[in-house]
Amino acid sequence: MSLAARIAEEGARMAEACTACGACVQACPMTRFAAGVAEADPAEVASGMRALLRGEEASRISLAWIGACTRSAACNSACPERLDVALMMRFASMRARGALDGVPLLPTKADRGWSARVKGFARLGLTEQERAEWL
Amino acid sequence: MAVTHHPLPTERAVFWYGCNLLRHGDVLRLTARFLEAVGVDAAPRGGPSHCCGSTTEHNARITEGMGRRTVAAFNATGQDKVITWCPSCHMNMEDVMAPETPAQFSTTHVTEVLWDRRAALQKLLVQAVPLSVLLHRHAGFQPRVAVNDLVSNLLRLIPGLELVEDEEALPGHMCSALAGVPGALAAAHEANLAAMVRHGADTLCTIFHSCHREAVALERGRAITVMNWVHLLARSAGWAFRDEYKHLRNADDPRAALDDGALVRVGADVFTQLVEPELRRKPVV
Repeated sequence: MSLAARIAEEGARMAEACTACGACVQACPMTRFAAGVAEADPAEVASGMRALLRGEEASRISLAWIGACTRSAACNSACPERLDVALMMRFASMRARGALDGVPLLPTKADRGWSARVKGFARLGLTEQERAEWL
Repeated sequence: MAVTHHPLPTERAVFWYGCNLLRHGDVLRLTARFLEAVGVDAAPRGGPSHCCGSTTEHNARITEGMGRRTVAAFNATGQDKVITWCPSCHMNMEDVMAPETPAQFSTTHVTEVLWDRRAALQKLLVQAVPLSVLLHRHAGFQPRVAVNDLVSNLLRLIPGLELVEDEEALPGHMCSALAGVPGALAAAHEANLAAMVRHGADTLCTIFHSCHREAVALERGRAITVMNWVHLLARSAGWAFRDEYKHLRNADDPRAALDDGALVRVGADVFTQLVEPELRRKPVV
């Protein structure tokens, strides 16, 4: 199964098990950094994440929450269904950023120079032998 | 180096340090040295050719391809254990990479390995490190690998070191995640600085590389020191090192602070366009 298929299928499977109770949203330490989420109904925010995993439309507030995810994992211990909410959020984030060839709903900060940059730092901090053996 | 008695047998593994740890060659080198010293013959592997794919998550095909290539490379080593450094890499291996490409190895974090071999490690930690250390902890990786507890326990092996822990771990799995959310990284740093004042700590100890690269700039204008946990172990072992990233990041002029030949080694264009802007970035607090 390709990663894209897994995101779609497993994401949908987890969405089916999700009741959108909002406990994950309430436990999340990042809601204060996501515009409007702290004031919103947690169940509505979670419902939008669930919808995205099903390939359906997600609300602006739900997208703000997904976009603010920093993988704190507080959602997992809060979920009464014992779902891997952190993985759900990961898949939702990937979908929202266009991983499945959909229109990106969240921006992705492309860092085109990333590879050359880390290699540049490697030349600063590692010897030639270390670079030859370790890279 | 003197031969150290290892109560556990010598084992061979791959030390998968990820990509962005390349900013911190001193940490990479010291970690490899500690692994060897406790009886783990772990060949360091990393960089863009061994990427976990986390930088391309907006494209599932590319992410899958990068992950497949890395798993295949580790399978080809014949080693049955891959030791990780980066929490993103570690979680990616479990969540995305191994489910797609069958892995012929198990994955364990470097803090778990060093803690398992703490008897050998303890013998190396001979010098007192009289610092009052606040541990910079994130919540996100702890349920997967109890890294906050493991690093705390490793630091407690260091004679003379006083460890303080703030009540709550910071959100996220490491600072690179927080850096992508406006206000989040600044809030984390402000929380740490306040905790250091509250506890009378003089040293902020980072666990992960992305936390370290963001936190070193906190030294500017403040009477605090930022060190990585591996640095603290190395100080106790009496091993010389220089935090090159911190040296350059906190220099008034990073270009002028380069060692002789460094600019040629890196490449003037790469330094000017890619490395120097990062080194000149102002701290968030």
